[in-house]
Amino acid sequence: MSKTVLAFILKFVLLTLAQAVIFNNLVLFNAVVPFVFIYIIISMPITWSTNVSMTLGFLAGVTIDIFSNTQGVNALACTILSFVRKPVFHLYIQRDEDLGGLKPSQRSMGSAEFMKYVATMTLIYCLCVFTIDAFAIFNPLRFAIQVLGSSIFTIILIYALDSFFTQQPHEKRL
Amino acid sequence: MHELFAFFVKHSKWFIFIFYVGVSCVLLFNKNPYQHHVYMTSANAVASSVLAASNSVYSYFNLRETNDDLNQRNAELQSEVIALRQQLELMREDQIADTLQLPDSLKQYKFIVANVISNSISKPYNYITLNKGAADGVREEMGVIDQNGVVGIVNVTGNHSCRVISLLNSNLRLSCKVKGNDHFGSLVWEGPDPEIALLQELPRHTVYQVGDTVVTSGYSAVFPEGIPVGIVMADTQHRNENFFTLHVKLFTDFSTLSTVQVVDNRKKAENEALEAKDFK
Repeated sequence: MSKTVLAFILKFVLLTLAQAVIFNNLVLFNAVVPFVFIYIIISMPITWSTNVSMTLGFLAGVTIDIFSNTQGVNALACTILSFVRKPVFHLYIQRDEDLGGLKPSQRSMGSAEFMKYVATMTLIYCLCVFTIDAFAIFNPLRFAIQVLGSSIFTIILIYALDSFFTQQPHEKRL
Repeated sequence: MHELFAFFVKHSKWFIFIFYVGVSCVLLFNKNPYQHHVYMTSANAVASSVLAASNSVYSYFNLRETNDDLNQRNAELQSEVIALRQQLELMREDQIADTLQLPDSLKQYKFIVANVISNSISKPYNYITLNKGAADGVREEMGVIDQNGVVGIVNVTGNHSCRVISLLNSNLRLSCKVKGNDHFGSLVWEGPDPEIALLQELPRHTVYQVGDTVVTSGYSAVFPEGIPVGIVMADTQHRNENFFTLHVKLFTDFSTLSTVQVVDNRKKAENEALEAKDFK
């Protein structure tokens, strides 16, 4: 258990730093941003309660808000994302016991199911963030490009990141 | 009582959800950037030191453009200095020495050079973080310019860092005029394009031409008069009868901002005291 918590803290710090320093600067066409740090929420152990995940999600959102000067935008979106995490997860894996491990990942869920799960979560997140932004400046085409572009960019990066985090060098594959 | 407690425990996730959404909304709807607390912005100690460290790498990326800009600006200034020197010589010859009061009047503004450690251009409310703060003499409501033109206004200061409201922030309105006449309007950025801003509330009888330079009016004591902002573009839109709006192409390239100057107006306190007296 403590190993899981330690690994989570490490992941939290690494991903928020990476988001603040690297991914916030990877803006394509002045519109599309990858929100890689939501992997913190996506890969949180499924046994952790919604209350815990919302608290941690809110903290992650506030940290990113501080670094990117977006008062409350990411905090609100992260809270919503943590709140819908379990229902979305249960769309693809009906019972927690069917998960081949503690955390949702490519190995524990299977590539196809994990992809669907990540895609749904990312789309929800991007919709939240850019809807909040759209209250300030609304432009339908730009909104669509931002939501779809950022989602695709984020999904690709999270998929790569997940292969990196869950690889085990000593594992033998048949 | 026991049942009430059980009710709260059973639905705790809804209460916690509503609580966090509430906190987020309080942050979100606090639209006045001067009310943001320093800990909640990138001007706080931890965030600014992380951003400064990453900027020490990023700042190498656009050195070439910055260098070109500086060289060009340097050449312009040099020619201006020579022209002014010649003019001064002529004036000295013409005028009696004791009517000339030059040195004192030029000391009104001081410039603090700072580096941009974080910047954004794609959001509706963009902010810039600088690596100079209260300890270096930066205070709130100071203007920020770079070698090309106006950048923004300082709004939160930390000890060794500060946050600037970018010109690309719909909360910022800047008093500007078309160079060559004295009618002023307010410059505001409303669109996603980081190169174009709008000069609004310009009186209908203002004379201008496409390609004219837009400069600061100097009415607000934040910026000196005549700092370049942008040039008037071809398309204008008529909003109503008495005022019109110009599209202005900004001189400052916000996507490669690196070194800027904070304008310290030494007479600002004096001016404000004077204005406050008027109201009494």
